[in-house]
Amino acid sequence: MTTAAAELANGLGTLAGTGKLLRFQARRTRVYLLGWFAGLVGGTWMIAAAFPGLYPTAEDRAQYATTVNSPAMRSMTGPTEYIESYADSTAAMVAHNMILWTGALTAVMFILLITRLTRADEETSRLEVIRSQPVGRRSDLAAALLLATITALVLGVLLALTVAGVQGADFGSALLYGLAHSAIGIVFAGIAAVAAQLGGYGSSANGLAFAMLGFAALMSGLGSAQENAAIWLSPVGWAQETFVFTAEQRWWPLAVSAVAAALLIWLAFALVTHRDFGQGMTPARVGRATAPSGLRGVGSLTFRLTRGLMWAAVITMLLLGAAYGSIVGSADEMLESLSEQQRQVLDQGGGSIEQNFAATITAIDGLFAALFGLLVVGRARKEETGGRGELLAGSPVARSGWPGSYLPAALTVATVAVVVGGVFLASTGMSSTGDSAIFGELLGGSLVHLPAVWTLTAFAFAAYAWLPRAGWVRWVAWVYAFVVAYYGSLLEMPSWLRALSPFDHISRYPAEEVEWLPIGVLVLVAAAFAALGYAGARRRDLHFS
Amino acid sequence: MNAVIRTENLVKRFGHVTALDHLNLEVAQGETHGFLGPNGAGKSTAIRVLLGMLRAGAGRAELFGADPWKDAAELHRRLAYVPGDVALWPGLSGGETIDLLGRLRGGIDKGKRDELLERFDLDPRKKGRSYSKGNRQKVALVAAFAADVDLLMLDEPTSGLDPLMGAVFNECVKEAAAAGRTVLLSSHIMSEVEALCDRVSIIRKGVIVETGTLAEMRHFSRSRLRATLKNPVRGLSDNEGVHDLKVDGFDVECSVDTDALDDVLAQLAVAGVATLTCEPPSLEEIFLRFYGDELAASGVANGEENGS
Repeated sequence: MTTAAAELANGLGTLAGTGKLLRFQARRTRVYLLGWFAGLVGGTWMIAAAFPGLYPTAEDRAQYATTVNSPAMRSMTGPTEYIESYADSTAAMVAHNMILWTGALTAVMFILLITRLTRADEETSRLEVIRSQPVGRRSDLAAALLLATITALVLGVLLALTVAGVQGADFGSALLYGLAHSAIGIVFAGIAAVAAQLGGYGSSANGLAFAMLGFAALMSGLGSAQENAAIWLSPVGWAQETFVFTAEQRWWPLAVSAVAAALLIWLAFALVTHRDFGQGMTPARVGRATAPSGLRGVGSLTFRLTRGLMWAAVITMLLLGAAYGSIVGSADEMLESLSEQQRQVLDQGGGSIEQNFAATITAIDGLFAALFGLLVVGRARKEETGGRGELLAGSPVARSGWPGSYLPAALTVATVAVVVGGVFLASTGMSSTGDSAIFGELLGGSLVHLPAVWTLTAFAFAAYAWLPRAGWVRWVAWVYAFVVAYYGSLLEMPSWLRALSPFDHISRYPAEEVEWLPIGVLVLVAAAFAALGYAGARRRDLHFS
Repeated sequence: MNAVIRTENLVKRFGHVTALDHLNLEVAQGETHGFLGPNGAGKSTAIRVLLGMLRAGAGRAELFGADPWKDAAELHRRLAYVPGDVALWPGLSGGETIDLLGRLRGGIDKGKRDELLERFDLDPRKKGRSYSKGNRQKVALVAAFAADVDLLMLDEPTSGLDPLMGAVFNECVKEAAAAGRTVLLSSHIMSEVEALCDRVSIIRKGVIVETGTLAEMRHFSRSRLRATLKNPVRGLSDNEGVHDLKVDGFDVECSVDTDALDDVLAQLAVAGVATLTCEPPSLEEIFLRFYGDELAASGVANGEENGS
């Protein structure tokens, strides 16, 4: 008799074989887990190491504290209790600026981990092989949650060690900082486990869990900004409510997380035996029997396939625009508190500080918008490697239609992203400064970046058309443009190196007058890349696997 | 001049791998042509060159007398293609996919589409991500058979279908042939090819090693002969057309070249025949003859003996 069979006989029942599965799943996910550990711990370490250099003295930190203590800034960081301890503790400053973001990333890590070990495995029928072994019905979920819990605790200890050396931290409070992240991880593992039972597919389970994360981030931001109880609706907020490294530090919010996690895990186990293998509690939605009249050609198909990215772009740019817009008004005060280095990033020409700030954030908005253009181009490649394009390539469709339709789709998404970002940046900027002239400046500043966004997108398409296997080329171009925009003057890059970035040729409106010649040239460059891309798309072999 | 598909010394290389090595394939109008070969022999590569997805390295490929690379989109109006491994868009239902593929071709006959859905027993409302392999293939098959085209290019179309659906597929191909359509059917299911195809080409390592009607191919192959004689026979082993001879008393068993059948039968008649069976070679045996050395390399004793 095998051990698992013995466990079955011994009455472990639906949990039989959990131990074996745990070792198996840990082995399968080790690369995934190590990657996330490296990212979260490495990122925390880099930022924690940078803060003392940026704000070396208590006076620096106290000054920064006054500018950060606005509702808009708090919504992007955390509760005001931390700000009061800035002067005494660099660690409090780090925690204040970090927990919302590293906490959200930790949640993403655990949502993806649980979905991949439960529903995604059911869909690929990998789990079918496992379930046919002498293991219990609940053992795969138990193993996944056990693995998530262990992983969360390890991550917590690693994070604790990372911040233990920061000024203002002692061993106990560093441990609290780490365990606050563990708590977020475990709670979201529970949320994902429940979502995995409810969703019709792995992707809808992921969607449900991510919607919960979005709600959590929103409630945390709202609660911090308005200093009300909304923050208690957010698992990330519970971690922030520990007030770690501050004078008011407390451990008990972790108990709230523990109770919530226990309830969620109990619910997931209760649900798992109430659904069929491979099915969710909510039935998979059936589609239409016939195509809607709008789905007529390759263009409309491409539009439909990239619709999700379009929404993601709109929501991201809306939030980004609104976030930046709400701090334009405090730009003056904020800049005074910045270190010399940071000021150098912003101060790249004439104009008032506010106008310079506006020129910089519109450039960053443009870079983010271009990101979505690049993602759409990446979809074209996925259609090829996923084999779905073969049905189209065998149809009466010219190469300019497929894969060619992905360039107009990418340009459309990127343009919409720029416009949405610009409109929300301008309207929130206007209300935060009370100056109606700034609406036009911010919107105009956003729109002048369009030719640079088009150039990056068209370059990505040309790279896809000529070097389909080298997907990294388009990302290198984007990262390069980002580095030039952000650190170009700080790193004292020679001007010819900066000129390689299309964003470098856009006037710093409203700090400077708009120069139309470079904008016209950039439009031509974008058109040239587009033509090059279409030539490549006509010329090369299509490989479907 | 009425060849729908013609390749002359077609070469396609991927890096150091030669997928097509001077391939000569010809399919006449109205013909159902079987394209036989194991995985990796170059069937799909040849079809993709003919569809203009891959560019020919050397030699010529013609579809309806035109260049499939240059005039791909125009030529595709006249043909429908079913890939060997059908991938569907996860968020589109089967019905939406079928309609879209039909509309790309300028419209779809709704009656034909619904009739085919019925025959293939396919639920068009399911999303692409929830179809099994066989059902994904059915989506592409319904779209192809519903299209009003001159040529069907089918790349291993039945590899995921159950026998019942295989029978429906055979019917649909026969109807297409009766309607005057040209069909290129790549397959490694011999019974399917034997039942449907007028002519067959066997591909091996990117070369067509044999092409012709089944009757022609049989002519160049050996028949299996079994007889029970009344008297002992002599001289059979001296006949060059006789192979694998086994004599057990009055029972004789051997393979005979088609050209030698006359002589052998005369020799047997001299001895007096009690029972006689003579089977023409199956397509499988013909096919395995070209792959005998590969089978030997992988440890199978003799292709021809294993074929029966």
